[in-house]
Amino acid sequence: MSTEIADVIVVGSGASAVNAAFPLASAGRRVRMLDVGNRDETYDRIVPEASFSELRRTDPQQHRYLLGEHFEGIGWGHTGAGAQLTPPRQFVTRDADRLQPISSTSFFPLQSLAEGGLAGAWGAGSPAFSPPDFDGFPIGYDDLAPHYEAVAGRIGISGTRDDLWPFLGELESLLPPVDSDDNGRTILARYIANRQRAQRRGLYLGQPRLAMLSKPYRGREATHYRDMDFWSDAGRSVYRPRWTVDELRSFETFEFVGRQLVVAFEEREHEVVVTARHADTGKTETHRARHVILGAGTLGSTRIALRSLAAFGRRVPIVCNPHTYLALLNLNQLGKDSLRDARHSLAQLCVVYAPEGSARPFTVGHFYSYRSLLLFRLMKDSPLPFREGLQILRALSPSFGVLILQHADRPTPAKYCELREDDRFVVEYALSEGEQATNDRIESNIVRALRGLRCVRMMTMRPGHAASTHFAGTLPMSDRDEPLTTARDGRLRGTERVYVVDGSVFPSLPSKGLTFTMMANADRVAAGLARRLA
Amino acid sequence: MDPAELRTEAIAFSRYLVGSEPSEELIARYCEANRELFAGEEDRGVVEFARRHPWSIPLLDARFALGGTSLLRKKLLVMMAILETTPRFVEQTEQQPLPLPRLALRLVSAGASVAVHVVGGFALSRILAWRHVD
Repeated sequence: MSTEIADVIVVGSGASAVNAAFPLASAGRRVRMLDVGNRDETYDRIVPEASFSELRRTDPQQHRYLLGEHFEGIGWGHTGAGAQLTPPRQFVTRDADRLQPISSTSFFPLQSLAEGGLAGAWGAGSPAFSPPDFDGFPIGYDDLAPHYEAVAGRIGISGTRDDLWPFLGELESLLPPVDSDDNGRTILARYIANRQRAQRRGLYLGQPRLAMLSKPYRGREATHYRDMDFWSDAGRSVYRPRWTVDELRSFETFEFVGRQLVVAFEEREHEVVVTARHADTGKTETHRARHVILGAGTLGSTRIALRSLAAFGRRVPIVCNPHTYLALLNLNQLGKDSLRDARHSLAQLCVVYAPEGSARPFTVGHFYSYRSLLLFRLMKDSPLPFREGLQILRALSPSFGVLILQHADRPTPAKYCELREDDRFVVEYALSEGEQATNDRIESNIVRALRGLRCVRMMTMRPGHAASTHFAGTLPMSDRDEPLTTARDGRLRGTERVYVVDGSVFPSLPSKGLTFTMMANADRVAAGLARRLA
Repeated sequence: MDPAELRTEAIAFSRYLVGSEPSEELIARYCEANRELFAGEEDRGVVEFARRHPWSIPLLDARFALGGTSLLRKKLLVMMAILETTPRFVEQTEQQPLPLPRLALRLVSAGASVAVHVVGGFALSRILAWRHVD
């Protein structure tokens, strides 16, 4: 089929790409997906289907996946981008730095050339944007509402109608929430008992929206609460875009072409020619289609767009949620001498700081317990000798948690990307003193409010720019007809037949994970294209 | 890296961390991890001293936990990781929620032990620096 002209070539296989391909393939369009498509060839086979605690007690081979075949799970560097990737997840970033190098003094992002993209290792947080989050976008919540529902119906999102409902966006297609663990429950119970006081301080707590199944859904299993979500995808209960790739493969009109690193496109009279380099041989290959959708991730798509439009030396903006990790000690859990083994590993609670209510910008964080990541990883960062550190952390860690805050971000001249004539892709990123001061003030207020729920900050870690992996804003959606922007329908300005569906098109980022909204927008753009192609 | 020296290290570190000797399989794993992770790193100085004088390991560990890069700490981390991922040592390395009185007791005793070792560790590291063992 690769010699035939496809209706649409979709570049990439991550969260946005697959959710763009789906409505097109469903509508009978001939879709060709091009991606390098790295897969895990080592760990998927060797991680047994059992709970984390059972494996630790019984499996003599556990070091192979917990530490890695080459001990790659033992690291001593600074807690930064990718620090959360366990050996079975590291395939997600394989080859990316080699094949898509970035030149930077300030921005060290994770990129992916894996089938399924970066969401092969995501935390599955799936809040929708609420109306204030679209400030500065040419589209609003109503434009995306049906597509949020379509994507939620496709991937399965658990959650509930609780105090966070006004902040996490309306969503009808919700599965029941997954259970929180002991740590999450005790904090939530304290919040419920002190709700009014907490809310006066601007703090709201509730269940996170997670793309994790609480009941069997579309051929995937409900979570078995085995606490293995950082290590394996048993039962496929956590959504990964490669589940959708597998589904797409069942369409006769869909073709996945792997080992293709797309480098450029060229528009001709009635078609677009896409040039790719074979990831192994380096050989150049071409593909033709009537339309092209770029969904290679913000950095990947931007590089392709700038190169194809010969926009060398042109700076485009970039935004990225600054991340802060607050290590917390949950005094509500301290002294309780039993722990339920049955739990999932992802976010146990969602925390919203909204001092002026849901109509104003607010800050969202997710609370994780420290359970299935092994104590030696904690000890690396502790100022304690190992023997005493082990004794102390064994006793205290059941009450540990990490609140991951993602601050909102807007473009400024100090945040930019640029493709140089020599094909070097330069990214620089700096927060102004004012931006940092705002984030610091928000964090201080959150820490103070959490203290009222008997959660005490032990440490603040800033994992560095790009650690959130929420890159966006390089080819922003705009109603102004300017080069290197995208129109409402996703079309890249300066082209007739090329669309962009990943984070590149978000002009700014609210304090929220963008993945679910990115998927919904990809569905919107592709559904529109499918209608026009009919 | 000399296999005999690595073997001595593995035994000394395991005794220090969990109070017992590792199996031959774990010793072999420690040696393999050293080859993977520390190829080309010079292990003279503090590590060599700790290997020859296992009584010094708690002191030097406590001292370097408070700052400075240390090959000794990296090697202890590797041994800790290997022990933690071995079923035999689960009882000694898994999370252990405690009732408040026992928790308080543990924190006090571990804290006192850390304080003593930090003081001893700084004294020892000054002596080693004076003797150019660093």
